[in-house]
Amino acid sequence: MTPHADPSETVVSLEGITKRFGETVALDDASLTVRRGEVVVLLGLSGSGKSTLLRHVDGLERPTSGTVHVLGHEVTALTGRALRELRSEVGFIFQQFELVPSLTVLENVLTGSLAAVRGPRLCLWSYGRAARAEALARLERVGLLERAYQRADTLSGGQQQRVAIARALMQRPQVLLADEPVASLDPESSDQVMALIREIAVDEGLTVICSLHQVDLALSWADRIVGLRHGAVVLDTETEGLSKAQVMEIYGRVATSTDQMAAIELELAGDAVR
Amino acid sequence: MTAVTERPRTTEAHLAPRAAPPRRRASPERVAAVLTVVALLVASVVALRSVEIDPARMLQSWSNAERFFGRVGAVEFPPLGELLQLTALTLGLVICGTLLAAVLSVPVAVLAASNTTPGPVWRAAARFVTVLARAVPDVVLAMVFVLLFSLGTLPGILAIGLHSVGMISKLFADAIEQIDEGPRTAVRAAGGTRLQQFTAGVLPQVLPSWVATVLHRNDINLRGSVILGYVGVVGLGMEMSFAFKSLDYGLGLGYALVIFVLCIVMEIVSSSVRAAMLGIAPTGRGLGDRVVRRATRRRAAGSSAGVVRETVGRAPAAAPASVDSMLRRPWDRTRVRNTSWGAIAVAVVVASVLVCDVAWSDLVTVWAGVPAVAVQFWPPSFGSYETSTMVAAMGETIAIALAATLLTLVASVVIGSLAARNVAPSRGMRSGMRLLLVGIRGVPEVILAIVLIVVTGLGTQAGTLALALGGVGLLGKLIADSFEEVSAGPERALAATGATRLQVYAGATLPQGTRALVGHTFYMLDTNIRAATLLGIVGAGGVGYYLLNASQGSNYGAVTAIVLMILVTVLAVEGLAMWMRKVLR
Repeated sequence: MTPHADPSETVVSLEGITKRFGETVALDDASLTVRRGEVVVLLGLSGSGKSTLLRHVDGLERPTSGTVHVLGHEVTALTGRALRELRSEVGFIFQQFELVPSLTVLENVLTGSLAAVRGPRLCLWSYGRAARAEALARLERVGLLERAYQRADTLSGGQQQRVAIARALMQRPQVLLADEPVASLDPESSDQVMALIREIAVDEGLTVICSLHQVDLALSWADRIVGLRHGAVVLDTETEGLSKAQVMEIYGRVATSTDQMAAIELELAGDAVR
Repeated sequence: MTAVTERPRTTEAHLAPRAAPPRRRASPERVAAVLTVVALLVASVVALRSVEIDPARMLQSWSNAERFFGRVGAVEFPPLGELLQLTALTLGLVICGTLLAAVLSVPVAVLAASNTTPGPVWRAAARFVTVLARAVPDVVLAMVFVLLFSLGTLPGILAIGLHSVGMISKLFADAIEQIDEGPRTAVRAAGGTRLQQFTAGVLPQVLPSWVATVLHRNDINLRGSVILGYVGVVGLGMEMSFAFKSLDYGLGLGYALVIFVLCIVMEIVSSSVRAAMLGIAPTGRGLGDRVVRRATRRRAAGSSAGVVRETVGRAPAAAPASVDSMLRRPWDRTRVRNTSWGAIAVAVVVASVLVCDVAWSDLVTVWAGVPAVAVQFWPPSFGSYETSTMVAAMGETIAIALAATLLTLVASVVIGSLAARNVAPSRGMRSGMRLLLVGIRGVPEVILAIVLIVVTGLGTQAGTLALALGGVGLLGKLIADSFEEVSAGPERALAATGATRLQVYAGATLPQGTRALVGHTFYMLDTNIRAATLLGIVGAGGVGYYLLNASQGSNYGAVTAIVLMILVTVLAVEGLAMWMRKVLR
């Protein structure tokens, strides 16, 4: 499968996904289709099911009911090596970066290539020269080549997230998932990281699904916005020519109880202040 | 916010008809726990009377001691060359044993940790191995291995190695359970296998604590190696036991002194290794940590920032880096330091193995001898000993442990309180008491027991006093630490009402610290029971004496019977301690 193969090809499709954790319903009959090369934002308040949905795409969660197709495979039916191979084609960027703090930056990037090699790797040299060269090139791409041999925990939050992006790229993925990638960052690093993800997505022809809770950022960054509330998809629209007021209006129209309205108004007010 | 929401509630309560004040419901489990504590306390008092410790006799034995030391004359040492060779042998043996345990404990810990275990059955099996390894004393293992391998270092290495698996794997499993799951999930999300998730996501996080645990265990094993000498494991301990058996007290005490110094040096070394290699600051109050802290204080003042600040602040290399130039890792300070520590570690390991001169072929040939030896050990029977004698001996061991714990508790509450910052009347008093505790902890209990035996003669007195004294070092420190951790509010409130220092202590500090006190005391009892079974080996009373006798008289059925008796007692006390900690939490 080469990138740019067919722009209309469906890369990710979730059909009627319901996920329950005990009594709580995290996802409620959610469906979503993403075509190759699209940059989609999942928008919603915390607890709306964004993370759970993303984790289903990577096979980290199994749905209570419904099916997930990614890159032509039914994720829900995969196990063992087939599942690991699929995961290696899907990069995942976490809110908390999830680097190993005591390892060097380069070693952290190299862990992205673990699926391509067999067995455990215990130190830098065990990955081989080619892999190390590739990891350094990925680090250069995110602008952190000089930091390669520093411990990961000596970097700032924004830098750590860029290392995590390099690690995801090391997988040579076709799909990139990002779960609130800038929620733990200051505004400046946050802009840098979002711009970097967008740039890389265009350069490498990646399909991106990214969860966010800031409406403004989503509107300026994504091709398409998918709104989630209480685990259900309540909004799915292209961003072209869309205004913030319109997004909020759609949110408001499907809101059923006053406390949900209050939550949205709170967010609107918060965005206005920002 | 709280004030607003609380107000209506209080009015409501005010208006509601006044009900009888709610009775504090004591759960039956709590009642049972409190009754157990009382029963143990009574038993300890009885035990204290039974081991016949009374001041008059101790004064008398003190004059004995004076006469004794007059007779012994000067403390003697063996020739320097022999001493150095024996020291190297002892160190090498202990390090090899600890290393063996360190390696073995990795798989055990992985199976025992809730987040890495493949299934509940594996987990239960691993936990069982952990508990069993801790419950079987290394001396007993050494007896068995001495029989299998005859002389040499292998019995000692195997005994230390197998016994230490218990503690190392338990602490290692705890560390694995406390990791941040994030990096592991990241490897999983990237398509890593379970093994890769462990090596790339879990191992780097737990490695520092694993190394620290192993170093700590190495200190403990060095102290324990003294007693292994009594059952035929080569090294300083064995020479010391020979000296005492041939009534050459001067030489025996010389060896004891050497071992004592060796223990302190080892503690200092392992503390500095922890500090330098792992970046773990020497925050402990052990003797080693103290020395290292004092030595590094001056240097630290010069370059106040640690490694972290240093690397962050450093600007990227002046020449623009390229992928090719970065392929070679620069020899910066971090790399030089890591490499040299690695080289030293390898050198120490290689030297230890070489010093031990292990007869590897024995590991293969020994299996042929196993059935014959196993038959000797089974079935368990007391043989020529009366069952009642054995039960009485076990009772004596328990009495020693109980009496020692009681004595330790009383002394520790006094010393520990005075060593707590918020109780001590003056800074000088606090530092003095802390120093005293550190000093006591530096002395291996076995050495203490041996010296006391020399002074008071064989018997339960020496064992009880040795355990009681040694225990003060640990329990006093734990009590001081928990008193310092109590909330300061109630203390200030009491002081504000004009209470005296003693009233503040009794009214605010002690009640808040009681729970921790009970927990620590049970831990002490648990430790003392284990130690008391072994002190008999050096002649300090209890079942250990019969254990050694049975082993030396080739009465192996009796060894098994005694070991089983010890196992049951140790496990029962451990279970009791766990239950008490749970109920009284």
